[in-house]
Amino acid sequence: MTGIDQTSLSRSTSLKLFGYHPVVIIVAVLLLFMPLIANDFILYQIFSWSFMLGIVALSLMFLAGYGGMVSLAQMTIAGFAGYMVAIFGVNGIASVSIGWPWWLAVPMALFLATLLGTITGALAVRTEGIYTIMITLAIAAAFFYFTNQNYAIFNGHTGINRVATPHFLGVEWRSTVPFYYLTLGFAVLCYWVTSWISRAPFGLALQGVRDNPRRMAALGFNVNAHRIAAYVYASFMASIGGILLVWGNGQISPGSVSVDVAIDNLIIAVVGGISRPIGAFIGALIYVVLRTFALDVLVAFGLDGNRFRLLIGIGFLAIVFFSPDGVIGLWNRWRNRHASVSTVRQGGAHG
Amino acid sequence: MRRFIERHPLWSLFIIVVIFVFLWLVFATWPPGFEAIFGKKKVFLNAVLNGITLGGLYFLVASGFTLIFGLMRNVNLAHGSLYLFGGYMGFKTVAWTGSWLFSFVVAFVAAALLGIILQYLVFRRMEGQDLRQTLVTIGISIVLADLMLWIFGGDFYQIQTPDWLVGPAQMPFVTAIKSSGEAVYMTYPIVRLAIFAASVVIGLAMWLVLNRSKIGMIIRAGVDDKDMLSSMGVPIQLVFLLVFAFGAGLAGMAGVVGGTFQSISPGEDTRFLLASLVVVIVGGMGSIPGAALGALLIGLAEQLGSVYAPTYAVVLTFLIMVVVLAIRPQGLLAR
Amino acid sequence: MDSIAQRLSAAGTNNALELRGVTKMFGALAALTDITLSVKPGERRAVLGSNGAGKTTLFNCITGDFLPSSGTIRLFGEDVTEFPPQERIRRGLRRTYQISALFPGLTVRDNVYLACRGVSRGRFSFIRPRFNDPLVQAAENLIEAVHLTGVIDRLVAELSYGQQRQLEIALALAGAPRFILFDEPAAGLSPTERAELVEILTSLPTHFGFIIIEHDMDVALRVVESVTMMHNGRIFKEGTPQEIESDPEVQELYLGGGHG
Repeated sequence: MTGIDQTSLSRSTSLKLFGYHPVVIIVAVLLLFMPLIANDFILYQIFSWSFMLGIVALSLMFLAGYGGMVSLAQMTIAGFAGYMVAIFGVNGIASVSIGWPWWLAVPMALFLATLLGTITGALAVRTEGIYTIMITLAIAAAFFYFTNQNYAIFNGHTGINRVATPHFLGVEWRSTVPFYYLTLGFAVLCYWVTSWISRAPFGLALQGVRDNPRRMAALGFNVNAHRIAAYVYASFMASIGGILLVWGNGQISPGSVSVDVAIDNLIIAVVGGISRPIGAFIGALIYVVLRTFALDVLVAFGLDGNRFRLLIGIGFLAIVFFSPDGVIGLWNRWRNRHASVSTVRQGGAHG
Repeated sequence: MRRFIERHPLWSLFIIVVIFVFLWLVFATWPPGFEAIFGKKKVFLNAVLNGITLGGLYFLVASGFTLIFGLMRNVNLAHGSLYLFGGYMGFKTVAWTGSWLFSFVVAFVAAALLGIILQYLVFRRMEGQDLRQTLVTIGISIVLADLMLWIFGGDFYQIQTPDWLVGPAQMPFVTAIKSSGEAVYMTYPIVRLAIFAASVVIGLAMWLVLNRSKIGMIIRAGVDDKDMLSSMGVPIQLVFLLVFAFGAGLAGMAGVVGGTFQSISPGEDTRFLLASLVVVIVGGMGSIPGAALGALLIGLAEQLGSVYAPTYAVVLTFLIMVVVLAIRPQGLLAR
Repeated sequence: MDSIAQRLSAAGTNNALELRGVTKMFGALAALTDITLSVKPGERRAVLGSNGAGKTTLFNCITGDFLPSSGTIRLFGEDVTEFPPQERIRRGLRRTYQISALFPGLTVRDNVYLACRGVSRGRFSFIRPRFNDPLVQAAENLIEAVHLTGVIDRLVAELSYGQQRQLEIALALAGAPRFILFDEPAAGLSPTERAELVEILTSLPTHFGFIIIEHDMDVALRVVESVTMMHNGRIFKEGTPQEIESDPEVQELYLGGGHG
């Protein structure tokens, strides 16, 4: 649907409040008042982390779901933004700290990381399809090895610690509740803008490029320019996620941009469901919950608590095998079956 | 070759100059002033030989990867896991039987069997869905990596070089002239030379099989047009299975080589996967000669880089990839 | 308008499309050899020939999907030989595909909307169109013109084959086309759908011309005023539909040889 969303109207006409589905309202209210219910551990370890990882996964979802370009470099872009905000801002390593105030360091980091993402995209779009994964994976790995070896800028293997977080409007933004709202705010913003773009000419054209690049050129679109523009937007979003992550952690090291982390980002997006923006956040929540409680669960089942990655790998395989559209796809299928069962029942009652 | 020179005279000139400079650096006795700037010739020659032999190892890993991609369009991101798996198998075999040569057989067969299982149980069912296949290979690589970590732990394993390959060999390169006028010849570990020779032989054999035999003809035809093959009555699934097994087996064998050259440990799977990716991106996807050229370039860049610009060695490798993507995105020797 | 007239006269031609000596090699294989062809504005022409005669390759060269190995292509007097496809499309060229090239994951409305957006400004816009946006209106009018209003909000993947062929034509009519290439629009259609297609083609405004590739002589010869026969990548005969139909060599090639 172009602009005016008639599909949602036709799907469920009842139970609308201000034009939103009741589930959306409930989730919104819950998230808004979460600090009243949840303790600090849940707020930061579960929710803030889900929002931050969700933003980075959303940048991958945007490229893969709308543009058909599976980029494994999005976590690298996020990590680069994190490194830049740490280096240009204030941190605990005197030799690599420039010491700018946060309101200068943040735009600089956003700019440089988006630039890196744009260059990555410009390289990746020179080939098509599955090559994108290979090239972006190579870029991600190269950046990881480089940060490991380079001490002049990235302080090598140890990385950068004690990264200063912003303090303004009388709020220490790193303390749990303000940080919760900070990450929630940016997650909602990224989600909303991405959903909006998906129905705007730019996003529609991107989906056209995904479905049939040759035809798009035959309709007057510059296909590669569109793809690169998608990388610009996605990289900007990943940079926001990366800056929040470095503020949340207070430190960044090559481990934050390793190949495993890049692949986990893909797993989050795929498990959540690559076709809709909300999938990125659902995937992130599942991932964070698993990571936080896997040890206890595995031990409870009498298994070695270190087998978290095995669990992730098997879960990922199961999703790819049985529901290519991730958890969203499972949910949709369940709902459709439920709907058809209830119509059958109604039909039976009438007969 | 002649067409390339006709079409790109400047590039050809550049390549010829580079080759000549390189040959001079290797064979000439370096003038004293030159050594002052550039360091000892021995260091340079060592780096070059290390680069070439490392290139041989990269070729063993990457040629299987590129072969599988060329025929099945399957980007097997679990290829590094097959390498690591082969390495562990080889180590265990040497530990039990003491035979280094036999460990190659075991590693090849074990990795090939794993490859057959993957192709038969998994990839055959999702033919043509290249993204889904690749996602599955990612999942498999995670599972395999954690299983191997579980079984073998986080230790470094080094495979013992057999006695008959221990020791240095004298190379026909003069590194320096003694004051007595006597030439000093370069020495280099025999085992690395032997393995390099083996990878050259394997590479040539693959090339010959692909270009001269019937099965090679079938595989090449399959790369161009799969449907035509199955319509001709060729058992295409069997060909797929064989090629996957062979590519996986090569990776497993490379694991033994890597375990002898260096060592094997968790994380090496990613390293060699990355090397394979860069090698085939540079050389050209699906091309065996491309894999050879790419492996040589990347091996040399890594070793020379680590000697002359230690912090930027990775960047050098990466720059080669970027330059290739920028000027010839399909890879140097892709058709 | 002045500038277009000037460009036309500067180029010394009044042709909508002009090919001179266009050759396309795939490796050592010549798919097109020395094609010289000109089509006047408003002219409607059929390109006929057996499979492998190079008709679709000809279209791909004209739209810029392939660059020709040699020769020049002029569109409304302007040399577009080296232009990427989108630049040619923005100059008024359109095409349809033999095998429908649509966007299965989008609705009919969004498909046609994209086609309208492709030849106007704001291709990168983040602003969602309102329902009274002129381009949305244009898209809806086009959908009506190809009789698809009933399925306007359906995903293209859910359409029938015939409906997809009609949508294929709607995409080519978006914007302000000046010259259209139809690649076998009738392939696979039922007799009723063919009649509908002939009606759509004959009711096109007379100011723009087209080239149609079509195996169905009934469709092809009813909507064109001139015919080009191709054979083995070369132009074999040119003339009016009557001349071509009665030409003995054409009869030999097209109607004789084994198909009898």
